[in-house]
Amino acid sequence: MAGTGRCFAILAVAVSLAAGLWAISPRPAAAQASAQPDVGLTAGEAVARGASVFHAAGCTACHTDKKNNGQPLAGGRALVTPFGTFYTPNITPDRDTGIGNWSVVDLARALHEGLSPAGENYYPAFPYTSYTGMTDQDVGDLWAYLMAQPPVSKVNRPHELPLPFRFRALLGVWKGLFFSAGRFAPDPGRAATWNRGAYLVEVLGHCGECHTPRGVLGEMEWDKRLAGTAKGPDGKKVPNITPHPKDGIGKWTESDITYFLKTGFYPDGDFAGGAMVEVIEDGTSFLDDSDRSAIATYLRDLPPIAGP
Amino acid sequence: MNKISIAFAAGLLVAAVTPAFAVDEPLNVIKYRQNVMKSIGAHTGAIAGVVKGEVSFAGDVEAHARSINAMSMLLGHLFPKGTDNAAFQETRALPAIWEEMGKFDAAMKGLQQESAKLIDVAQGGDMAAIGAQLENLGKACGGCHKPYRAEKQ
Repeated sequence: MAGTGRCFAILAVAVSLAAGLWAISPRPAAAQASAQPDVGLTAGEAVARGASVFHAAGCTACHTDKKNNGQPLAGGRALVTPFGTFYTPNITPDRDTGIGNWSVVDLARALHEGLSPAGENYYPAFPYTSYTGMTDQDVGDLWAYLMAQPPVSKVNRPHELPLPFRFRALLGVWKGLFFSAGRFAPDPGRAATWNRGAYLVEVLGHCGECHTPRGVLGEMEWDKRLAGTAKGPDGKKVPNITPHPKDGIGKWTESDITYFLKTGFYPDGDFAGGAMVEVIEDGTSFLDDSDRSAIATYLRDLPPIAGP
Repeated sequence: MNKISIAFAAGLLVAAVTPAFAVDEPLNVIKYRQNVMKSIGAHTGAIAGVVKGEVSFAGDVEAHARSINAMSMLLGHLFPKGTDNAAFQETRALPAIWEEMGKFDAAMKGLQQESAKLIDVAQGGDMAAIGAQLENLGKACGGCHKPYRAEKQ
């Protein structure tokens, strides 16, 4: 099997790095955990704000198994990757099978550090590499929103991963190599709209998780940020969304972008199919116009990159 | 040459030429279908230009909506068996269409209904309502594109 050699190569790399990184990589979880976010004046306001965080973060697309008529946010959707098949977990507030027992600090640790409440590393199929930038306020509001959703009793299905990827311990190494926790830092030299767009694209919207190509260890290739990939999720092609005039969306106007994110219509009148339609239906169509404009502002200001 | 041999030669010519121009051959149907679909997309894109405020031609929306509605009525006979992307790489039509013909028909009817509604709304002239109905039309487009059209490769 062709993949086996690569698996061993990856394992060899991982093991050789493990010795060196083991000492420095695992950070004490408590030291990184966020302080309790400000939950707002009333729980109702936090839930309302959390709804927009939830939509911008696109939680539904992965955590609802729509194809098999799964209950909202009860997980079970299969994510087929070169590293095996992941089954997304139940994030309804069911106490036994969901996240009903999670405190806001537990959610913050998951989003900011990729750690479960028990301190286990999550696979980066869960895009904490992007969510680590979330503000504490947004995490708190999201927590309030999630806890207000109907609980669904559905036991999580174990991932189906070949060796060596089923060893969660290796994730510590991966995180040491490719993950650095840290909140989004606005660029003071840029307008508020640009910074809001950067936060929506790079952090909440985690656009790069699909639109940025990945290396052999599943890490994002930052020099080709948002330039698309021939091998996206489920082995499908994902388009270049940098302003490159030929390969990207350089010919799209701001209203082309905002209208697409609101409705799913491409500038030529075609209508989105595939994974992006889920992002639009469950996510960007719910955003305020100002947020869609911010996304357009930021995308149009990215460095244009050719490819894929 | 006598008449019989002329007729024979003509017959041979027809036999030789016919396969290249076979009426309703799958590839020809696929090309025709794509032209119909593109025309729907073009009218939709034109309406979107009005809704986005890029152009002021609000009075044109009804004509575009009528065109979309007329084209939507043709779709029923544009999906003969054997015109899927498993048979021809020129199309993105998934074989699921023919496995779920009932659902597919219902999804096509959705486009007919939503485009008919868009004609009505366009006559009213309320731009917000036109925008909202265009979004409903988009959902009808997605009703087929999501389950039955492969992504671009």
